[in-house]
Amino acid sequence: MSVEVEVNENDLAEMVEQVWESYLDPEGINPLIPTYDENQPSEVHSSVSITGSWTGHIVYASSTEAARRAAAAFLAMEAEEVSQEDLTDVLGELANIVGGNVKAMLPPGAFLSLPQVVLAPESSARFPNTTRISGVYGIWDGEPVSISMWHSSSDNNQEEGA
Amino acid sequence: MKILIADDSRVMRQIVVRTLRQAGFGDHDLIEASNGREAFDMAKSENPDLVLSDWNMPEMTGIEVLRQLRASGSDVKFGFVTSESTPEMKDQAQAAGALFFIVKPFSAERFDEVFAPILG
Repeated sequence: MSVEVEVNENDLAEMVEQVWESYLDPEGINPLIPTYDENQPSEVHSSVSITGSWTGHIVYASSTEAARRAAAAFLAMEAEEVSQEDLTDVLGELANIVGGNVKAMLPPGAFLSLPQVVLAPESSARFPNTTRISGVYGIWDGEPVSISMWHSSSDNNQEEGA
Repeated sequence: MKILIADDSRVMRQIVVRTLRQAGFGDHDLIEASNGREAFDMAKSENPDLVLSDWNMPEMTGIEVLRQLRASGSDVKFGFVTSESTPEMKDQAQAAGALFFIVKPFSAERFDEVFAPILG
């Protein structure tokens, strides 16, 4: 059975905005400013996989500095105090939160994996047989941050052979 | 009151604790579990008044923790704080006896709205 998934860039942008409002920019002074550049560089990334009614990955990627600032904001500490463990935990949580919100928009029967964090650029990651279907790319306080959604082609019979 | 916070993410446990404080519930005794199995064991051994649980955790998921607690005779107040939220999950949670379902990201106002009637 093929499932049309309607999680578009506006939906993704809205989820990301909620994360910024709740944790990364509660005072509304440092929003994520869109660049629409899907090839912007990153130094670290995290991902969660979704399987079941829809199969694919949600990837959060940023510079190390943006990850450090995110960890500082999440943990209410100074950026200089952030340890590598803080940074990786927060990266994992960011992928988990966005992934969970994406899952909520999918047809019933989708399962979310535990997050995976890699302290290397997103460009080093390979998600076999997937296509990027949506993404939010921006600059946060001068640092690159992106959230993208990758769909597994094996999930959708209609796309087989493409 | 004693509140057990169960989440495999240390960051999220910290954020839940901070948000509880911001919402004015910081005076309660807050204890933490880092996976589902630990949450179940602590819910039995520590006798919390309330359990705030993530859904997706290693060892046991939050819904498994709740079901096993109920199966073991525990009627501890239990609810979910999770990034995952689908109608089917909410139905399962309610059917298993959960009192609330809070979706991440959440605010102190949301915590206040949900916990004020429970914690007073």
